[in-house]
Amino acid sequence: MEILEWIKLIVGGAFLLCGLLIFLIELYGIFHLDYVLNRMHAAAMGDTLGISVSLIGLMIISGLNFTTLKMGLIVIFLWFASPVSSHLLARLEVSTNENLGNHCSIYDNLEDLEKELIEEKIKQEKETGGEEA
Amino acid sequence: MELIYQGMYIAVLITLALMLFACLIRAIRGPRIADRIVSVNMMGTMVMVMIAVLSLLLKEGFLVDICLIYAMVSFLAVIVISKVYMGVYEEKRHNSEVKSNKIGMEGEETHGNT
Repeated sequence: MEILEWIKLIVGGAFLLCGLLIFLIELYGIFHLDYVLNRMHAAAMGDTLGISVSLIGLMIISGLNFTTLKMGLIVIFLWFASPVSSHLLARLEVSTNENLGNHCSIYDNLEDLEKELIEEKIKQEKETGGEEA
Repeated sequence: MELIYQGMYIAVLITLALMLFACLIRAIRGPRIADRIVSVNMMGTMVMVMIAVLSLLLKEGFLVDICLIYAMVSFLAVIVISKVYMGVYEEKRHNSEVKSNKIGMEGEETHGNT
């Protein structure tokens, strides 16, 4: 029985440490990237993966009871809530920033983008075809 | 055994608190308002983990309920703040447009009079 306790401690602690590591990576991303729409990637990672991994560690440690169930509920709720809030924040940024063109390229209508993508694809296919021949 | 668990929980809590301060720096420095909201959202996530760890450290099950409520409230806060800020921005732009139109019309009138 003693060995089971130790296994529980080690596995739970490893999960918790993984969660902390993911939070650290998130923090690094927040300081390293230089625009909000890029930073949002890092923040969303911590919201879903970081909290789910660290709560799974705590669930393993706490065993099978109602606390575990509630922690699972938190993880599931955040899976639904985080994309919605990220979407709203991105919309806020795009609609209030007047010189967005400095940070990323903007297409007024989708057809231009589609045309450009198709041209790029044709170019790539030609290059790979030439290499094969 | 108990001592190891307690030491681990306290170490995790201290690390999370340090990361929370780093997040706060980002929230203060962030050049745009979306930066600040993103980092406040991140702080909310870290506080959720802290509350969950605390509930195991103190062996109080009800703290996990508080964590669930905290998740819901922080989600609601992001939605409300972004909606309110968008409304404020629209209003400001509308006001400035009206003002510039007025100035333009006045200029034309005075021009006509002279």
